Amino acid sequence: MKKILIIEDDRVLSEELARLLQSAGYEAERITEFSGVAAQMQKADADLILLDINLPEISGETLLQEFRRKSNTPVIMLTSRTTEIDEVLSMSCGADDYITKPYNPTILLLRISAVLKRSGSSGSGVQQYGEIVVSTVRGSLTCGKREQILTKNEMIIFQLLLERRGEIVTRDDLMTALWDNDEFVNDNALSVNISRLRGKLAELGFPDAIETRKKQGYLLK
Amino acid sequence: MRLRDYLKDRLPAFLTGAVTWLLVLIFLYTFHVSAEACVIVTGIALAGACIAESWEFLRKKPFYDNLLQQTEQLDRKYLLHEMIEEPAFFEGKVLCDVLRESDKSMCEQIAQYRRETEAFRDYIELWVHEIKLPVASLQLISHNDGNAKYAEQINRIDAYIENVLYYTRSETAEKDYIIKPVPLQRVFTDTALKHRTELQERNITLHTENLNVQVMTDSKWLGFIFGQLISNSIKYQASEITVSAEDTPEQTVLRFRDNGIGIPPHDLPSIFEKSFTGENGRTHAKSTGMGLYIVKKLCDKLGHSISAESEQGNYTEIRIVFGKNDLYAGNLSKM
Repeated sequence: MKKILIIEDDRVLSEELARLLQSAGYEAERITEFSGVAAQMQKADADLILLDINLPEISGETLLQEFRRKSNTPVIMLTSRTTEIDEVLSMSCGADDYITKPYNPTILLLRISAVLKRSGSSGSGVQQYGEIVVSTVRGSLTCGKREQILTKNEMIIFQLLLERRGEIVTRDDLMTALWDNDEFVNDNALSVNISRLRGKLAELGFPDAIETRKKQGYLLK
Repeated sequence: MRLRDYLKDRLPAFLTGAVTWLLVLIFLYTFHVSAEACVIVTGIALAGACIAESWEFLRKKPFYDNLLQQTEQLDRKYLLHEMIEEPAFFEGKVLCDVLRESDKSMCEQIAQYRRETEAFRDYIELWVHEIKLPVASLQLISHNDGNAKYAEQINRIDAYIENVLYYTRSETAEKDYIIKPVPLQRVFTDTALKHRTELQERNITLHTENLNVQVMTDSKWLGFIFGQLISNSIKYQASEITVSAEDTPEQTVLRFRDNGIGIPPHDLPSIFEKSFTGENGRTHAKSTGMGLYIVKKLCDKLGHSISAESEQGNYTEIRIVFGKNDLYAGNLSKM
């Protein structure tokens, strides 16, 4: 389980963030005592840090600059400051991403998983699902000698399901992921894409891989 | 200062002089002074008066000419005092003193207003940061509790907050943007994501064409502009939005086109004016007349030109032209 450290001085916001992350399958740790944050940051040994810019006593940017001298742990800056100048400043301090408040929770989760993926070493573009080899580079699913080419949309859907295998992925999550990749599909198109994806998985010998959970979403078994 | 104006101004003095001289002549005549002597004395007096008047005229002319010319040319007329030299004659000196005093007081007033606007603006920025915290908390709570109904209202609150923020930013002189190469597609996609639920509820389809270009702008401001245009399309019953870009070596033209109710021709020239609501604003949706005004102001500040084209009942197209700076053109093509 990936561990995410939340450094946010607004108590409610910090608690709700932790709830969001836990329900998305992460281990969330909150910093509640803001003296000596830098040391706590080091000690936590997190896989990713969510860092607020406006902290009591110290600014997030200074904190990040210091932290970067010792660690490469990915950091996403969270801020209610909205100018481009702030963003450029944060990125130059070594932030991996920058998200302004209020954030769409689904998008926040997408960004977190994108940053985690980038920092992880799985850069080959190849994943496994059972005997199926998923190649994002080729846009294909291969099972033994059989191969199915997926469209861009189908690949985005399959990847999200695969990433959260065994969990329910809502239609809303899928839609957000598609739109985030410039595919502005509507409800019908999403259903069509999912049924095509099912068809292709069936061709490869996995007819019931994607399960529909009524009023909740989909689940990759 | 023309000679005629000067003479006209001096007319009472000349008339008094003439009458006085007439009385002197009558006086001389009663004392039987010879006609020749009278002519000579008149000649001397006239010559003296001419020299005095010419000198007076030539001494004042440069000062007043300069004063009038500066007044005409100056962009900020209250800085007039800085632009003129103090003359040697009395009236000019008085005028200069008065101008100096009044300019000083004007500058003080302006400085005070500027300070007040800046303080107000700073407070708005601070307030926006503060209000965004509870809004962010609410958004997370609504998501965590699985209550999507709240989410839409929270998004509305956030949109109104952004309006205030960008209105203040567009109205004040302070520069708080950065112009750098910005990928059009990314900015549009981020904005579309923000409005996704609204767009999908109304079955609005989005198309993008050739947006894989970089333009010189501030991405946050452009995001706000896209947001306003999308809200307008939603408000005015579009079912399709097409965003396309045309990239030439000199400029990039962005076209934001929807198939909504369009704008009546007589309203079209005024849509970017402050508080203009027009026919559509009155009959179709609640309009404050601020959205496009702020958009236009932001474009002006960023140096983009914006224009609109529409056919009622058919389409509305907003065009934004992004210039390309030669200085950056080289870097842009390398990216």
